[in-house]
Amino acid sequence: MAGTLSSLNTALTALRFNRVAMDVAANNIANATTEGYARRRVEGTAIGAPAQPAMWSRYDGTGGGVATGATERMVDSFLDARARREHGAQSYLDVRAGVLQRVESGIGEPGDNGVAAAMADFRSGWHDLANNPGGDAARSQLLARAETVAGALRNQAANISNEQSDQRYRLQAMVSEVGTVASDLAATNASVAVAKLNGTEAGTLLDQRDQLALRLSELTGSVATQRADGGLDVTVGGVALVTGKDAGVFQISSGVTPSGGADGLSVGFTVVMGATTTAVPTGLRGEVGAVTDLLATTLPAYADGLSAVARTLADAVNAQHVAGYDLAGVAGQPLFSYDPTNAAGTIAVALTDPASVAASGVPGGGLDGSNADRLGVTGAADGDYQRLVNGYGTEVASVQRLAASQSLLTLQVDGAREQLSGVNLDEETVAMLQAQRAYEAASRVMSVMDSVLDTLINRTGLLR
Amino acid sequence: MTTMRVTQNMLTDRSVGSLQLGLSRLAKVQEQISTGRVLNRPSDSPTQTTAAMRMRSSIADQTQYVRNAEDGIGWLGIVDQTLGGMTDQVRRARELGLQGASTGTTSQTAREALASEVEQIRDGLVAAGNTTYLGRPVFGGVTSGSAAFDASGGFVGVPGEVTRTIAHGVKVRVDVLGTDVVGPDGASLFDDLDALVTSLRTGDTPGIRTGLSALEGRLEDLGSVRATVGVRYSRAEQAAQRGRDAVLDLSTSLSEVENTDLPRALVDLKMQEVAYQAALASTARVMQPSLLDFLR
Repeated sequence: MAGTLSSLNTALTALRFNRVAMDVAANNIANATTEGYARRRVEGTAIGAPAQPAMWSRYDGTGGGVATGATERMVDSFLDARARREHGAQSYLDVRAGVLQRVESGIGEPGDNGVAAAMADFRSGWHDLANNPGGDAARSQLLARAETVAGALRNQAANISNEQSDQRYRLQAMVSEVGTVASDLAATNASVAVAKLNGTEAGTLLDQRDQLALRLSELTGSVATQRADGGLDVTVGGVALVTGKDAGVFQISSGVTPSGGADGLSVGFTVVMGATTTAVPTGLRGEVGAVTDLLATTLPAYADGLSAVARTLADAVNAQHVAGYDLAGVAGQPLFSYDPTNAAGTIAVALTDPASVAASGVPGGGLDGSNADRLGVTGAADGDYQRLVNGYGTEVASVQRLAASQSLLTLQVDGAREQLSGVNLDEETVAMLQAQRAYEAASRVMSVMDSVLDTLINRTGLLR
Repeated sequence: MTTMRVTQNMLTDRSVGSLQLGLSRLAKVQEQISTGRVLNRPSDSPTQTTAAMRMRSSIADQTQYVRNAEDGIGWLGIVDQTLGGMTDQVRRARELGLQGASTGTTSQTAREALASEVEQIRDGLVAAGNTTYLGRPVFGGVTSGSAAFDASGGFVGVPGEVTRTIAHGVKVRVDVLGTDVVGPDGASLFDDLDALVTSLRTGDTPGIRTGLSALEGRLEDLGSVRATVGVRYSRAEQAAQRGRDAVLDLSTSLSEVENTDLPRALVDLKMQEVAYQAALASTARVMQPSLLDFLR
């Protein structure tokens, strides 16, 4: 037979449990829009007969109320891992698309002010000169148009090299962010382990841990694995960056000088963990991977293509120009000068005197325009430039398409996470009302018990 | 059975996402309408961009060919006109020679008058031979000087061809070398006229007859040179016309590739606008209600 006062105790556990339920609902509502917050749920367990009754006794109660269990975080570690992977791929494509689009807007093709238009003008300048080989105006115009072509090429080359230099600074900023986030994650790992040992509520720490790991994946495409003590280990390109409470230092080993310049090598990274330094293999994802690929492959390829166009143009024009004779009948000098290591960035017009343009195909100072006529023929540079622009445009379009389809995947995974971990205000309101009603009912149980005991103690045996 | 759990954040994110999508589509169509171009950057359509760049290059070339041909037509026009004048003058000299030859009884004074008129014609022909176009003697080849013949009728030009490129790889010669018109120094039209003048002065009738037949030959030469010039003139003219047609055709094609189809873009704009408004309206309705509205 259960004790007379056990129902009072049962009501007390209900009061305690429902107060916790209301606290949890309040906390969920408060954090409904907090980034990285996973909703909590309090677990209640009915108290019944003990699994092993005391010797020579048996349990004859009807249940002893409710035990307030652990506050559970509604997360799925597989979904979290998936989200980290998709976010890494997404940030890689987004950064890449953003930079490629910015460079593309500086190309200005097809249009009236790009390199192609300048080259067409240059050609027709030669024809005008062939029509009027003695005219000072036609000669000056030709030199001005040559300068326009060289200027247009230099301008594009400068756009690309500025973008490269911006991206080097950006890479430095990202790498220092990786360092900060990695050491924050290591510190959080340590706190999680301690909290787990002494049984403290670690929900907020776990939220923080997941967010830091996600940010690391966005930055570097890193992979995180769960530790037994509740922390997350992170590897970048297969190299350990965070192991428990220890964070390695992620740093640039080559390609970018500390002052943000280029050192001529391809961009590489190392992780320094304690006394060991490990080189990170190429092929990183995330923002760092995107900037690395841009600096190592994409932007140099376009700059090289542009330089090849500049070189083809300058060489073809120079070869034909020195075969001709200027106004005084002297053999022509090269029209364009450039530095072979950076043709597009340094191409310039070497002649300043209009009379020195070699329009004539015969020596002796005659007004012949046959060399100018030959110079006006479309060279290979035109077609090369068109192919270059086409290739670049195709690359931009393809990255945009990839980023768009990746964003569908990322949205889907984020949606699945939100579906599990997000706070629904209606649900919380219902949970709160439920707890409120249960609390009221438990209070009523107490009053009823009180009244019953009053009857038993004060009224029993009284005849009056 | 599991039902999908929906949270307020999901609704917010999705609404914001679809509003953004609608707005960016609207911005795309708006860009096409306001710039009047569907190709605003190479990635809009890399293939079409290459086509557009080719066409722009061809248009620039063809425009230049038309200008070259028009310049050539100017040259050839002057050459033709000058050759016409020269033919008339040679014919007149021949008539004078005939007068001197047929009237064997002509007095010395009359023959002197004929001779001096032929001399005038000779000087006139030298002047015609020095005709210039835009400051360049049209019979002087590639000379940088201002004359093709000196006062005595000697050729002082520099042999060479003045050509104009009238189509890709097609050139037309727009000058005629002085020696091709009047013959080489020592055996030129001017020498024939000089001989005729001498024969007229001396009353050397056989000499006059020789001079007359020589002038006959010169007239034929002038005629054939003129015919050649005429052929070149019509070639240049046809090329100019072809070039203009090509520019027109290419511009039309370029516009088809590069420019916005306005009616279609406007219909697109209207559709995107409706879609965007629908997204706004549905967002406004979904975001409003909450269980709290119904709890008292």
